[in-house]
Amino acid sequence: MTPPSDLPEAAERRLSAGAFSSGLSVSDFAACLELGLEPVGLVQGFCAMQQGVYSMMGLSRGLSPYGGSQGGYVQNYQCPHGMIAGEHRMWGQNYQQTWVESAWNEGFTSSYSRMLEEATELGAHGVVGVVDTVSRLTDANVTEFHMSGTAVKVLDTPAAASTPWSTYLAGQRLAKVFEAGYVPVSIVASVSSIRVWASCVTEYLMEGMGMWSNSTSPTEIEQIVTAMSQARFMVRTSARDQLHGDALHGADLQLSEREFEKGDLEVEAVLRGNRIRRYKGFDPLPVPKPTVRLS
Amino acid sequence: MTNAQHPTSAPDAKAEVRRAVASLKENAPDAGSTTSDLSIDEELNLHSIGWEPVQLVSGLSVFSTPAGLWNWGQGEIVAAGEAHEQAFKYAIKRIHGEAAMAGGHGVVGVHVERRVYSTHIEISLLGTAVRPVGAKAVDASAVFVSDLSARDFTMLMVAGWQPLGLATGASFVYAPRRTVGTVLQQQSQNVELKNFTEAMYSARETAMERMQSDALALKGSGVVEVKLVEGPMSFATHAVGFAVWGTVVRLAKDSHQLVRPTMVVSLNDVEEAFDPSALA
Repeated sequence: MTPPSDLPEAAERRLSAGAFSSGLSVSDFAACLELGLEPVGLVQGFCAMQQGVYSMMGLSRGLSPYGGSQGGYVQNYQCPHGMIAGEHRMWGQNYQQTWVESAWNEGFTSSYSRMLEEATELGAHGVVGVVDTVSRLTDANVTEFHMSGTAVKVLDTPAAASTPWSTYLAGQRLAKVFEAGYVPVSIVASVSSIRVWASCVTEYLMEGMGMWSNSTSPTEIEQIVTAMSQARFMVRTSARDQLHGDALHGADLQLSEREFEKGDLEVEAVLRGNRIRRYKGFDPLPVPKPTVRLS
Repeated sequence: MTNAQHPTSAPDAKAEVRRAVASLKENAPDAGSTTSDLSIDEELNLHSIGWEPVQLVSGLSVFSTPAGLWNWGQGEIVAAGEAHEQAFKYAIKRIHGEAAMAGGHGVVGVHVERRVYSTHIEISLLGTAVRPVGAKAVDASAVFVSDLSARDFTMLMVAGWQPLGLATGASFVYAPRRTVGTVLQQQSQNVELKNFTEAMYSARETAMERMQSDALALKGSGVVEVKLVEGPMSFATHAVGFAVWGTVVRLAKDSHQLVRPTMVVSLNDVEEAFDPSALA
């Protein structure tokens, strides 16, 4: 948690002024008022993170697969051809880029806690309609994490004594969450990053040269499938570990791949969602009726 | 679908929110965490027929295709069709396995991401495993995978049908090149390129037949929500591809349950979405 002194002096002055600001649309604003949530300010958090280069392994292929990872998932692939040649890939490796994940997590968590800090300063109980963007700040390896949301107070409730709750939802969708018997706890985000150094077989298959991989028919590219599956598995596991018995709702999984050479990939998965907690049992719901709207 | 008996703005909404927020002081219930990519509307739809989300599940596969496959030849590009079929089957098998392991009875809302490159074909599936509320795990063979949204799944079940699985079919066919003489002769004419039309028809028939075979193998009586992708590939100017997939369904009850839609005439002025005076 970022210490409270992080808050700029100007921000403290602005937040203590009378008028409120909000990032809500007019209809979301109206729905919040109907729920007894009073907007008190548009709160934000920023963090610019430079991602360090862990080793030369990140830049060029080493002589051996061993020592390329810093903990986490690692899987090695050996050449089945028994060839020793400069251009022949005698080994392949999938490894988790823990330093990439940790830079992402630090950037996300810092911007998030800075946003909550502003909300706390305003005496808010929660932050609704959170929007987070992660973008490249410069050509260098610098990533900007920007988080914003609308701090709200729950009317007729004692002053907030703990960290504000947060959610990506606002307006009618948030109203439905409460109505369904859930309460928002926090936003959740996780990341996984896997680097693939292709083995000779993977390289040949990705180049469509199956005959060199002892296969003449369509063949599954095991190393790539394993890397992609592992990225998806790890990002979900990491998000689940943050739930502590609660549920993740409205999950959004973003996947990206960057290919450096045939089969040499970086696979990244980012999962975002709302951590929600059941506070009452489901009321019996009637089966929905289909309607035809005439307008 | 609407739920007229449960308006979204209950009169005691404010008290309900106060009660909900106050409950955050207590610890989370000692139940397993669930994950889902469903919206709250979809979750409520599921709940109305006694189902709940369990876990977010995925499955994928990448199959290589031989280089130089796409540009010269006649008839179907068999290796590409095989690679597509195998990649889909492996991806379905994996998402199915994850759902069974999570205790799901099926997967709904499966997003299908399909990429066809000149050297490999990638199929990626992502969906939410679901089960009847509190139900125990079932035998893996009974777990279904469906790309129907939770809303459509609800409607299907209400109508007395059940999803059985995903059926897919794909075919890639060469469009034979015209001779130089024919090209020159036809250059100034409006003329149908029969080589392309026939290739499209050929690919369509094969792909649809394969999807139908999948449906029959699952003992289904039909396929709903069929998605269709067809056309040339950027890297293969003389080949066309045709791919289809959808959810295989079968009648679960004795007969189809007629779901009569209710007519609704909105009295709202369409132009006026928000009335500020309502806040007073």
